[in-house]
Amino acid sequence: MSDNKVHAVFDGIEEEDNHLPNWWLATLFLAMVFAFGYWFLYHSTVWLDTPAREYAKEAEAQKKRLALQNPMSDESLAALANDPRAVEEGKKTFTTICVACHKADGSGSVGPNLTDRYWLHGNKPTDLYGAVMTGFQDKGMPPWGPQLGEKRTREVVAFVLSIRNSEVPGGKAPQGDLKE
Amino acid sequence: MRAQLSSIRADGSRLPIHPLEVKGRWVTRRRLTFALLIAIYVAAPLVKIGGHPAVHLDVAARRFYLLGGTFNAQDFWMVLLLATGFLFSVLFVTAWRGRLWCGWGCPQTVFLEAVYRPIERLFDGPASRRLKQHETPWALGRVARTAGKFATYAVVSAGLAHVATSLFVSAHELRGMISDGPHAHPEAFAWTTAFTALLFFNFGWFREQFCVVLCPYGRLQSVLHDRRSITVAYDAARGEPRGKVAKGNGDCVDCKKCVQACPTAIDIRDGLQMECLACAQCIDACDDVMAKVGRQKGLIRYTSQAELAGQPRRVFRPRLLLYAALATAAATTLTVSLVGRTPFEANVLRLRGVPFVIDGDRVRNQLEVHLVNKRSDAAELKLSVRGPDGLEVQLARDAVALGSLEDARVPLVVSLPKGQVHGKLLLELVVTDTGSGLERRAPIPFIAP
Repeated sequence: MSDNKVHAVFDGIEEEDNHLPNWWLATLFLAMVFAFGYWFLYHSTVWLDTPAREYAKEAEAQKKRLALQNPMSDESLAALANDPRAVEEGKKTFTTICVACHKADGSGSVGPNLTDRYWLHGNKPTDLYGAVMTGFQDKGMPPWGPQLGEKRTREVVAFVLSIRNSEVPGGKAPQGDLKE
Repeated sequence: MRAQLSSIRADGSRLPIHPLEVKGRWVTRRRLTFALLIAIYVAAPLVKIGGHPAVHLDVAARRFYLLGGTFNAQDFWMVLLLATGFLFSVLFVTAWRGRLWCGWGCPQTVFLEAVYRPIERLFDGPASRRLKQHETPWALGRVARTAGKFATYAVVSAGLAHVATSLFVSAHELRGMISDGPHAHPEAFAWTTAFTALLFFNFGWFREQFCVVLCPYGRLQSVLHDRRSITVAYDAARGEPRGKVAKGNGDCVDCKKCVQACPTAIDIRDGLQMECLACAQCIDACDDVMAKVGRQKGLIRYTSQAELAGQPRRVFRPRLLLYAALATAAATTLTVSLVGRTPFEANVLRLRGVPFVIDGDRVRNQLEVHLVNKRSDAAELKLSVRGPDGLEVQLARDAVALGSLEDARVPLVVSLPKGQVHGKLLLELVVTDTGSGLERRAPIPFIAP
């Protein structure tokens, strides 16, 4: 090594065999040590998870979390309608988005009146949730789920539940079936 | 000719480099440049322009405040112009004046020569003493000096790292984070600590190895330079044969001051080398000696290979003109794009679902207006829609108040009597910024059977 001998010549360029900088070699050896430790810890023990194992664990945890988290039911949505904070949040969304078709008070214009007792697609809380989430595209109700997400959709439903049957005067004429 | 990296001994160990302190016109000019650049770096997050720091790159929220301008992620395409403009400027400067960047503007040089080496000198004395110190035993004095030196490096590195962090979170926010403590902001703390460690290692030990082993720019000099590029060069015709001041000898007295002053330990008399940072310290070292022995200064000077061979200096040549043209094109396009920026964005999108709904005797389209306020302060935008008679418009909101870089989606329902339109008709959305009175129009495509 580093004998100042020319080992190869190409195109007039002489190649010698110098010693590499020691600090550079140190990074190589450290990388080897790291690789061994990495292989041992991730692939030979259960102490650290490979990305695949980590993903499986996280997916499992997410599944559990979703199962526990407020299962969507008529009861849970009806309960949310009694939570003033959720209703208030829902009102904010309603008056910035839904207002275009249902009016700020929900009495309806392009879209149906939400304050009367007549309903086109059912008046159960889960019916309303489905209506907001997936819409009725042929009738003009877009699916808002992708934009609002689950939480804001629930809150909007809570707000609508809080104003239904309030019979706002001057609202749009009834559409659909009478529901009590 | 040297066959070994100048800063690495034959056995692979580091050669300790302590460049001789020289005085001269280039060193003085470089010091002023360094002071200016460091002042800009420290001022960038502290000085406010238009209510925001001069530089605040809020990556987490994708809001970028640059010299009074407010940018969001949608403006990222301008970085292409910025990057190409910068790249071609660097190519231009390199072809014209050599590696000015390395010796005068690169943070590696600026912080090393203006901050860390002066600290080292403060503790360990001038270069001659520092070189000797490597041979002395680790007595109490040397241990104390070294400890003091590295402790100061650590404090300074932490300071520089905090400036870097404040470019991303703003100085004000950083002050709050510091008083909250590391546990409240583990991510910012980790970044700042990592950057502190990197600066400490780099400037405390790694230094010129970065330039000669890691940095790709220096390795490109052989393709970026030509014979007319002005670089730091030794005038061999004048200097050789080197030796004592005597008849028959050249101007070079072989004092080796140029080698001692070199931050990468090369001998500039061997010609231009990849390790040369164009710092010009050898020029000042040599000029000093030339003055002492009563010879003309400039044995080592900023000059080109062509000039050294007796040809006249010629600046304009095709490659320089090409680099300049490309840099100017990028800069011009960037300027035009910056001037043409509007203070808000307004786009009309179609809502999901069918393209139109037939509702009794009317045809309805359901859309959404996406608004973004791109000013550095709040704005109120008013919306209205223009179209033919019979048009009915329902906007969820006709006035939207938005903070800086906030956005909003406003549902928009338009309807026309059935049969009035067949196919497609363009309606017009008018957005007015109530503050400035500025108006923008966006087309609304109305679709009917």
